[in-house]
Amino acid sequence: MAVKALHAISQGRNGVGAFILQCKRIDLHYCDWAGSSRGMNGFIKSLLPKFAAAHPEIEFTVSPRPAKHPVAIGHYINGRSKPICVRNMEPYEILKKLELLRDASGEKLKKVTKPVRSINESVRGIWSPYHGNGMPL
Amino acid sequence: MSRTLLRSLLELRATATTTRPTTSQLLRPFLVRHLHQTPSQIDPLPQQTQPEQPPPSPNQPLAVSPIPRCGGAPRTTSPATPETLSLLPLLAHQPGKKYLQLYIQGQAYLVTPGDQIRLPFKMPGVAPGDVLRLNRATAIGSRDFTLKGQPYVDENLFECRAVVEGTEAEPMRLKIKKKQRCRRTKTVRSKHKYTVLRVSEVRIKLPGQEEEV
Repeated sequence: MAVKALHAISQGRNGVGAFILQCKRIDLHYCDWAGSSRGMNGFIKSLLPKFAAAHPEIEFTVSPRPAKHPVAIGHYINGRSKPICVRNMEPYEILKKLELLRDASGEKLKKVTKPVRSINESVRGIWSPYHGNGMPL
Repeated sequence: MSRTLLRSLLELRATATTTRPTTSQLLRPFLVRHLHQTPSQIDPLPQQTQPEQPPPSPNQPLAVSPIPRCGGAPRTTSPATPETLSLLPLLAHQPGKKYLQLYIQGQAYLVTPGDQIRLPFKMPGVAPGDVLRLNRATAIGSRDFTLKGQPYVDENLFECRAVVEGTEAEPMRLKIKKKQRCRRTKTVRSKHKYTVLRVSEVRIKLPGQEEEV
């Protein structure tokens, strides 16, 4: 028996109706010993509680990763993830990186040339030479 | 409704006589702040949606003027004439979606409800989920009719809201700089950021009845 593909009935349009933040989880990894984690350890102590409290829709997990550089990994609704190495960064630089992870959609970065993306059909229709009154010459 | 190619151009007379302080204050673009924000972004927001513009000069010409640049556009739109208001129901009662030609920071975007706009810049001070009220449009249209503004449509005639979806970036650009007869090359890297909006609501407001289309 052949496998039948399901037709997509609707496409998601985030913000039409409800808005759902695309970033669902941010993992933070640190190392107690290494110097490159100094900023990350300070960030976890000082800035992370406030940032996490301001974003109840994102799950934050903090776990040690000994003898490795510190990493912040964002996980998105579409299944992709975005890892950022934050070695030797100051706590406020790491905060900027977390804001980047929060604002991102999780899609792969693409070059976009058209500013407006629409799935609606044309409001005024497609011009046809066979309809209408025509132009008297 | 017959699908004729009749296109009614509703003239808006650019009577830049009086600005209405009460209504324009009510209908200013506003930003609905949500809770998920970092402390660095809770500064009071200026009007982000529209460029800051000087007030209109009192001796503005009545003739058709081209769309001014960022610096010279009027801060408030001129009120609609009674003729426009009498013809607006024809446009509003047409079946199907309406389109808007929005004007954001000197660039026009033809949008219908549900469209995604990728602005060519990163809008400062906005977070995902913020709602922007966009009140500058150069045209409103339906299947058969178009209302053109001179240069902008009266902001009391329509209501357009957009949700900030987030910030996107382009792939890293690499530009190799090389001079002749010199082996040295320099690679310049750049990665621009863009704010993405989703048009969530487009309504045409008729003066008599508040809820329309």
